[in-house]
Amino acid sequence: MNVVSRGIKNATRSPLRGGAIVLMLAISIGLVLSMMVARSSVQTKINDVLASAGTKVTINAAGINGFAGGGNPLTADNVTTIKNTAHVASISSTLTDQLGSTDTNLQSSLELGSFGERQNRFSDGSVPTPPADSTSNGSSTTTDRQTMRSRINVTGTTNPNVASVNGGTLVIGSGKTIDGNSSDLVALIGQNLATKNNLSAGSTFTAYGKTITVNGIYSTDNSFTDNGIIMPLATVQNLTGQPGAVTSVVATIDSSENVDSTVSALKSKLGSSVDVTSEAAQAENSVSALKGIASLSLAGVIGAAIAATAIILLAMILIVRERRREIGVLKAIGGSNFKVIGQFVVESLTITIIGAVVGLALGVLVSGPMTTALASSSSNSSTVIISNGSGSTATVARPAGDFGGFGRGLNQLRTNITNVTASLTPQIFLSAMGITLAVAIIGSLLPAWLIARIRPAEVLRTE
Amino acid sequence: MLAVKNLTKTFNTPGGDVMALRDINFAVDRGQFVSIIGKSGSGKSTLLSMLGALDTPTSGSLEVDGVDLAKLSSRQQTSYRAKTIGFVFQQYNLIPNLSALENVMLALEFGGTKPASRRDEATRLLKQVGLDEQEIQRKPTRLSGGQQQRVAIARAIANSPALILADEPTGNLDSETGQKIFDLLHKLSRSKNTTIIAVTHDLDIAGKTDKTFMLKDGKITTKQ
Ligand SMILES: Nc1ncnc2c1ncn2[C@@H]1O[C@H](COP(=O)(O)OP(=O)(O)OP(=O)(O)O)[C@@H](O)[C@H]1O
Ligand SMILES: [Mg+2]
Repeated sequence: MNVVSRGIKNATRSPLRGGAIVLMLAISIGLVLSMMVARSSVQTKINDVLASAGTKVTINAAGINGFAGGGNPLTADNVTTIKNTAHVASISSTLTDQLGSTDTNLQSSLELGSFGERQNRFSDGSVPTPPADSTSNGSSTTTDRQTMRSRINVTGTTNPNVASVNGGTLVIGSGKTIDGNSSDLVALIGQNLATKNNLSAGSTFTAYGKTITVNGIYSTDNSFTDNGIIMPLATVQNLTGQPGAVTSVVATIDSSENVDSTVSALKSKLGSSVDVTSEAAQAENSVSALKGIASLSLAGVIGAAIAATAIILLAMILIVRERRREIGVLKAIGGSNFKVIGQFVVESLTITIIGAVVGLALGVLVSGPMTTALASSSSNSSTVIISNGSGSTATVARPAGDFGGFGRGLNQLRTNITNVTASLTPQIFLSAMGITLAVAIIGSLLPAWLIARIRPAEVLRTE
Repeated sequence: MLAVKNLTKTFNTPGGDVMALRDINFAVDRGQFVSIIGKSGSGKSTLLSMLGALDTPTSGSLEVDGVDLAKLSSRQQTSYRAKTIGFVFQQYNLIPNLSALENVMLALEFGGTKPASRRDEATRLLKQVGLDEQEIQRKPTRLSGGQQQRVAIARAIANSPALILADEPTGNLDSETGQKIFDLLHKLSRSKNTTIIAVTHDLDIAGKTDKTFMLKDGKITTKQ
């Protein structure tokens, strides 16, 4: 028997109360750990989103948003200007168009629905025909003679990946991708559109009076996007009779510090006929909900640590008060303050360590679900646009979800935000242990002081 | 071996100062068995706590083997309590979650006995005070009052102290058991030449000791 073994033995002196203290401590420490995990995971995600969005600048023809709006597309000169602007590392250009039923033998996979009907109430009977000039002369772009069916989206792009909703590589379900820089009559067809029209890789279809070969089928998690056709930019430019025209350019800037200056440079060079927006600013807005979660979980870490300290402090004060006489006896028979205090510190450490082991195990178990729960609640409360998953009402004037523009950025952020994954790194685990240690030390200091103040003469007092 | 001179102890309480001991003077020789009697509140326990360095006097001096207790540092006080003094209390005051054996081993630890020899030494001491092999493994709550006081005595003599201080050691026991405990203390004082100062209410017991002091309102009124 020595100070240490007596301390450990005393920790298990009253199993029920000890168990209750350990349980409360474990819950607080588990909370500390899982809140730390949530915080760091969310922080990592914020950095990811900001970093990935940080260097992209979108240049839209003023008035055109995706497949809707009016105005003139950007010209080949504009594109050259953008390409030659300082700090622009690379660009991908996109020209969007829509096919009505007279332009193609394909049928849209989207039902018109009440939303589509409402959008089509402006119909004046005119319809874009190849080589159409409709997309370039404003008001007629939102028309369709076939009022009972929505139209099919056509994206001509130098980079088919711009259609990917989450900003990554476009998922090609079957077949192969297309070369965005060619001018071949080839296309990638959205999953829904392909199903509706029984298309597969190698099939052909007619559009703009030409026969086009299906290279592959892509799928995204967006019904609107999956009702589309992706072709090389030059092909769409030729088919629609708009050589050099693009509706949107995404420029990647060489480093995030240069984004702001490049945005200003582009604005002054291109004038008011284009809208220049950087995703960085948008991303900043979109992660504000995540930042809220991050500071909330920091408050959680602090709160749980304080709770753990309070629990061990109260428990030790209770124990010291209860064993006042025993402490007096230990001193009276020659126990030094050092030994008597040491014994109680060991007792408090034992309780804290058991609580920590249980609590950290608990934290490891719950940190994943807790992070997911926190992150998904954030995406609901954020300003990100969430489209109707069935796609049944999506049609021409859908505000976001266009290829290559801001909608893509937003969708990317939405996916990112819901994709926060809890990662328990060794550093977090060590920090949690550090906090626990601090809790144990603070939980021992006050009792130590109380013990030192107990007079040994106390034992001679009859109760 | 023990000399008390002009000892005064005053407690400051919210209700005013309480003079527990007033100008106490006495001396005790080595190996003497001294009893202290007096009414409740007369200052008996206070005197013992001064002698045991559990508390410091307000004025006066306490000399044990020529060492003034009032001048000891707190570290020296702790060592004095561990090695020179053995305490026996009315309420036994054994550590409840330690066995009889472990209680005695604890005193040996504080007294500086090497870990390896503590168990054997404690066993020997407990047998000496009359506990059997099985009883020494029990926790205090599973021992009778008389047995607990025997364990307390074994703990008090563990480090061969020069002075045993006992505050009503038989106060919680029936007269027969109390007599046995008293005889045990007496035997120890004879065999090891240990000085014993015991507070008691039992005049029979007091009558058998070498010296008896009577305390009244913090003053010694009779010495015999
Ligand atoms: N810590 C203290 N603070 C204040 N007063 C005290 C303290 N300790 C003792 N006293 C007072 O000193 C006086 C002597 O107390 P003491 O305990 O020495 O009496 P006692 O003779 O041992 O009595 P009993 O036979 O009941 O044990 C009492 O009046 C008591 O109230
Ligand atoms: Mg008393």
